[in-house]
Amino acid sequence: MANIRSKTQDIYSLEQLSSKSSRVHALHPMVKLISTLLFVVIIVSFNRYEFVRLIPFVFYPVILMALSETPWSIMLRRAALALPFALLAGISNILFDTDTAFVIGYLPVSFGLVSFISILFRTFLCVAAVLILVAVTPFNQLTNQLRRLHAPDIFVTLFEMIYRYIGVLLDEASAMYTAYILRSTEHKGLQMRHMGSFAGQLLIRSYDRAERVYNAMKCRGYNSLASRSKVIPLTGSDIFYLAAVSLPVILLRVFDINKLFTAVF
Amino acid sequence: MHMADALLSPAVGGVMYAASAAAIVYSSVKTKKDEFAEKKLPLMAVTGAFVFAAQMINFTIPGTGSSGHIGGGILLCAMLGAAPALLSMAAVLIIQCLFFADGGLLALGCNIFNIGVIPCLIVYPLIFRPIVRKGINFKRITVAAIISVIIGLQLGSLGVVLETLASGITELPPGTFIALMQPIHLAIGLVEGIVVSAILCFVWKMRPEILESSLSGASIDKAISVKKVVLALAAAAVIVGGALSLLASSNPDGLEWAIEKTAETAELEAMGDVHDSAASVQGSTAFLPDYNFSNADEDSAAGTAVSGIVGGALTFALAGVTGVIISTVKKKKKSAIARADD
Repeated sequence: MANIRSKTQDIYSLEQLSSKSSRVHALHPMVKLISTLLFVVIIVSFNRYEFVRLIPFVFYPVILMALSETPWSIMLRRAALALPFALLAGISNILFDTDTAFVIGYLPVSFGLVSFISILFRTFLCVAAVLILVAVTPFNQLTNQLRRLHAPDIFVTLFEMIYRYIGVLLDEASAMYTAYILRSTEHKGLQMRHMGSFAGQLLIRSYDRAERVYNAMKCRGYNSLASRSKVIPLTGSDIFYLAAVSLPVILLRVFDINKLFTAVF
Repeated sequence: MHMADALLSPAVGGVMYAASAAAIVYSSVKTKKDEFAEKKLPLMAVTGAFVFAAQMINFTIPGTGSSGHIGGGILLCAMLGAAPALLSMAAVLIIQCLFFADGGLLALGCNIFNIGVIPCLIVYPLIFRPIVRKGINFKRITVAAIISVIIGLQLGSLGVVLETLASGITELPPGTFIALMQPIHLAIGLVEGIVVSAILCFVWKMRPEILESSLSGASIDKAISVKKVVLALAAAAVIVGGALSLLASSNPDGLEWAIEKTAETAELEAMGDVHDSAASVQGSTAFLPDYNFSNADEDSAAGTAVSGIVGGALTFALAGVTGVIISTVKKKKKSAIARADD
């Protein structure tokens, strides 16, 4: 808990990337949203044994990250958070699906192993696609697109506010924790019997501060409807990008490129 | 109990998206009708942020592809009322999905349903509210919080089990799956129930008006409204589920079936002999012929497997090279611009 402040920075690190300028950043947010969704749905629609057919999709994150200058370190660290789930989920497939799929040399490879690898890989692809979307699209543009899609305004405003208030809350938590530790020298860390009142106090303090923040925003003329930015026009490069992403992705779904290659050569 | 995309089929994901979207729209309308909705916004946002922080403490449950952690739905409901609580919960889940890779994008509908809709629109109005409404005191708050948190988590984790099994990607038998999920969430529920009741008692002592206003707030929890919600959810689920299961059922692959249907098979047949011979070549050489590895000729199967692996490795390498080339070109361009500026 001592490193709450660094955690706060970590939380907003991905968003900081979105203020960079590159060709990918400049694209229309709706185009980026649609292409990401399409990518994820297509990845998930593959059968669990089709690992080989998923491989060509790796071009999507690689090219986009290079174009948008997104550092791999941040991306991999975030993606690693999702990995344990996929890992542990896939293990059951190895244990229960033991029929031999094929043999390499003398080494039998089970269906379970194939589906295990495919689960890991598709998790990486889906997570990378979403993280790239957030890294190249400023937060307010993203929420404005939600409004354009007619998501309820109160919900989108709440979404924006929670995202901002996470920082406020962690800040309060950090200050309270320091104060608590300084006053309780006998024990290390938070005692269980103080948990309820600590959390309750944190909630009430952050609430008070949040209300002050909100009132200050209101005094300065904040209004969720007025905060909508201008409608961004679609340009030729947006349409080109959409085509450049969706065509290969759909073609790779419909045609098995592996089969095509073996048929040709 | 955030679910990941990898274990979900698009059909199940779509059905749950529809159900959760309906619940969010319903709650938005309900919340908007509340004249104090705007005053409540900071409280809704801050409790949402609180639940977000609390859920950061989580661990993986082996074999299930989902996480074990505090739910937070009941806490939100007690502080805000059912409809605003669902909105906060959904917003938290979307933030976790987008910024923290916690729970997949396709699985978002499932996650909102299991962690949000179940505790907020089902457990809270049916269990928490009736107990506490008879008169708030510490004992009632404690009992109501512990019972409803436990039931909410049990139902939610059962939802995870059913959705994952319906997707058919995991090999885990249903019995084992339930045996993994339910006891863990019973333990989590007990701990969370105690913590939630301690927080609520503290809040009630310090700011009784917060809990009282959420209890007396918008008349969302009448039995009729709940019925309406359930009916709307069921209708949405049936419509989307019906449409999607048409694509998914009895076919090895829904999308291929849909494409075949829309492309009018005539076109495909027109290819005639060339197509046939190509198909026979494919059938004998493909790495995963119809996902059933033919055991007729083991040597050739192994051979194609190796070629598949080599091909895959080559693809990875090619992708890597592409990335490096783009990065280097960009860097060179930048340094050229920098030099020009000097």
